[in-house]
Order: sequence, then C-alpha cells, then structure tokens
Amino acid sequence: MTIRNLEFFGFLFVFLISILGIGAYYYLQNRRRELYPYGKWDELLKRLAPLDHHNLERIALDPAAATYHEIQSIETMSPQEIWQLLGGMRGIEVMEKNCSVLVDLVFYVQQWYPEALLVAEQLRLNAREVEWHIGRLKAMAKSGHPPVAATEYLQQAVAIYYQMTREVLSLYEQANLPGLADLQRAL
Amino acid sequence: MHLNGPVFAFWAAGLTAHILLLLVLLLRHRAGTFPVFTTLIAANVVNSIALYEIALHGSKHTYFVAYFAFAILDLVLQLSVTYELATHVFCPTGTWARDVRTGFLILVIASVAIALGLACFPSPPEKTVLGMLLDRGNLFSSALQCELLVGMIAFSSTAGLPWNTHVARIAQGLGFYSLIGLLTEAGHNILARNTVAFQTLTYLRMSIYLLCASYWIVMLWLPAPAPQELPEEAQRQLFTLQRRVEYDLRRLRALKRP
Repeated sequence: MTIRNLEFFGFLFVFLISILGIGAYYYLQNRRRELYPYGKWDELLKRLAPLDHHNLERIALDPAAATYHEIQSIETMSPQEIWQLLGGMRGIEVMEKNCSVLVDLVFYVQQWYPEALLVAEQLRLNAREVEWHIGRLKAMAKSGHPPVAATEYLQQAVAIYYQMTREVLSLYEQANLPGLADLQRAL
Repeated sequence: MHLNGPVFAFWAAGLTAHILLLLVLLLRHRAGTFPVFTTLIAANVVNSIALYEIALHGSKHTYFVAYFAFAILDLVLQLSVTYELATHVFCPTGTWARDVRTGFLILVIASVAIALGLACFPSPPEKTVLGMLLDRGNLFSSALQCELLVGMIAFSSTAGLPWNTHVARIAQGLGFYSLIGLLTEAGHNILARNTVAFQTLTYLRMSIYLLCASYWIVMLWLPAPAPQELPEEAQRQLFTLQRRVEYDLRRLRALKRP
C-alpha cells in the first residue's frame, strides 16, 4: 500500500468518526427530546442562575399585588442603589436568561396540569416584555449613557421578572407538585 | 459478455426488489409525495434491464460506457432525492425555514468540497480512465450522501423540525447504504479490478443495497403513523391568534394607503 493510500485511509477514518459522531450526537439529542419533551426537572433547575430574591423583592416592592401603574410609580430607590442590588450588567443578563427557564418550567408542568398552558402563554409575553426593557437598557448603554440612567426600564424589568417568579411558584403550589421546595430554594 | 452465477443472482434480486418497490410506491400512492424517489427507482428498473441487454449483446466497452452514463444519472437522482427529503423536512408548507436556508447552502458547498477531496485522495493501481472515474465518482457520491444526510439530521434537530415517518425511513435506508458504500468504494479505489477482494466488496455493496430496498418496500407499504393532534385548548388559542393577526394585518395595510 502506498503512503498516499495510507493517508487516504487516515483521512477516511477521521471522516467516518466525524460523520458517525455528529450523527450519533444529534440522534441522541432527538431521542432525548422524544423521551423528555419538556426537559428534565434537574436540568431545568440547573439552568436557573441564582439571583438575590430579597434584593429583587426590594426593587419590585412586592409587585405580586401591584398593577402596572403602581410599578411605574416606584421611585423610592436611587438608580445606583437599584443597579447595585441587582448586581449590575451580570444581574441583568442572568435575569434575561432565567426568563426563558421560567417559561420552560411552566411548560414542564403542562404534562400533568393542562391548565398551565394559559400561564405559559402569559409568561412568554412577560418574558418578551422583560427582553424589550433590557434591550432598551442595553441600547442606552451602547449609545454612551450610563446604564443607571435607564432606571425606569430596569425597575419595570425587575418588577415583571419578580411577578413571573411568583406566578411560577403559585402554579406549582396550585398543582401540588413535588418540585415546589426545590423551586422555592432556586427562586 | 457473460454474466456469472452470483452476478446474475444479484441482478435478478435487484430487479425484483426495484419492481416491487415501484409497485409499492404506485399502489400505496407514495409516488405523489416522493416523485423524485419514484423516478430513481423507475430509472433503476430501466438501468437493470438495459445493462443486462447490453451485457448479453454488446461489447465490454459499450457496457462500461452505458454503466458510466447510468451511474451519472443515478448520482444526479440520488442527490435530487436528498433535496426532496430536505424539502419535506425544511419546507413542508412550501417556504424554507429562514434560519436553515443559509446553513443548508453552506452545508452543500462544504460537503461537495470534502467529498471531492476524499475522492481525489486515493492512488489506485493501474486502471482505465473510465474505471478510475467510476470508482472515484462512486466514492464521491457516497461521501456526499453521508455528509448531506448527517447535516440534515443536525439541522432538523437544531431547528426542532420533525421528520415525517416515511421521509425518515427513506433517509435511513439511503444513509446506511451510503455509509457502507463509502467503505466498499474506498476499497475499490485502492484495489485492482477483477481481483477476489474487489468482487467481494462489490457483492457486499449489492447485498446491503438489497437489504435497504427490502426495508423501503416494507416501510413504505406500511402506513405512516398519524401525527399527534393539538389539544382543543391550543387549537382554540391558535384560531384566536390567527384572527387577531389577520385583523392587525388589515389595520396595518390600511395605514399604508395614502
């Protein structure tokens, strides 16, 4: 066998391993999606990044009972204080990522509790609203304004996010699901 | 040219399998859903009969030229079948999924480049130009099919697009055959023709193809499982959403008018 043919077999081997590896990876991913269409509980919880619940509550001033107008009228805290309590840009990014996990957590409940579909839809809309506020905030930061100048957007995003967490907890409580304690700890 | 025992047996089995598969496609009304795949199978029936006639009454050179012409047709049709499967997965409503279109184009270009590279690599022993082209072409075709099918699986999985059952069955058969074809063609490219090893690889490829054809016959005969239906609540929501979108669209169109 010539050296060129040996090289050919080496190339073929790498090619086959890559093709089989990619195929197997996506096949297993599909299979997993079929087995767990709503994700696995542990993995969903792992995706929830920690945010200080008390700080969020302070910023949102317990908005579980507050209406949109009441949220808008919160002006007791200074922008710097809000920025600090949330943990700066990192906190905002965590909040943005957690929004999609909250929606997934509600979809997860839907397998035993079909009524959760309406909550999921509401949370999806809320998540988009949070994204919108954060988008405005980032746009302001990009255009040279200090992010603390956009307190209004930040405060509203936090208030909506906080309300979303309460909605999810209340749904789990209502459906009497075993994961409630873990969720309370994570949120 | 005389066909020896095993070659004749494979030829007869292949022709029977293709005729059966064609009948299944026509009788179970799959031809309308998979017109290119049906054309490929019909072309294979014509191919088997024509090559048999040429093998019996024509010269060896005529046979190779005809074989080469049919091999090109087969390659074009196999690639068209892959495209047909891709349209079933990525644009079931007639419009390509926007996030997949560019990626798919890159996949095709990259796959052609890699398959060409792989096909040009081996250094075969003394062979005729036609024979060498055939072996390299087969290697190129198998490698390309493997890449495209794996790429399609990856894209559909990432985009969350489901595989209709019959589409998946055709793709599985084609994918498996291409994978084995890649190995047998790699052997063909470094072995001299008319050796026992070369013949064994040819028989292996033919056997695998017969297995795949049998798999298609059974799977395409069986009905596809009914897709899961949306819950009533979700259907109502979708209906309301559609009405709202229609209403908003009318309002937006009205705004555009002077």
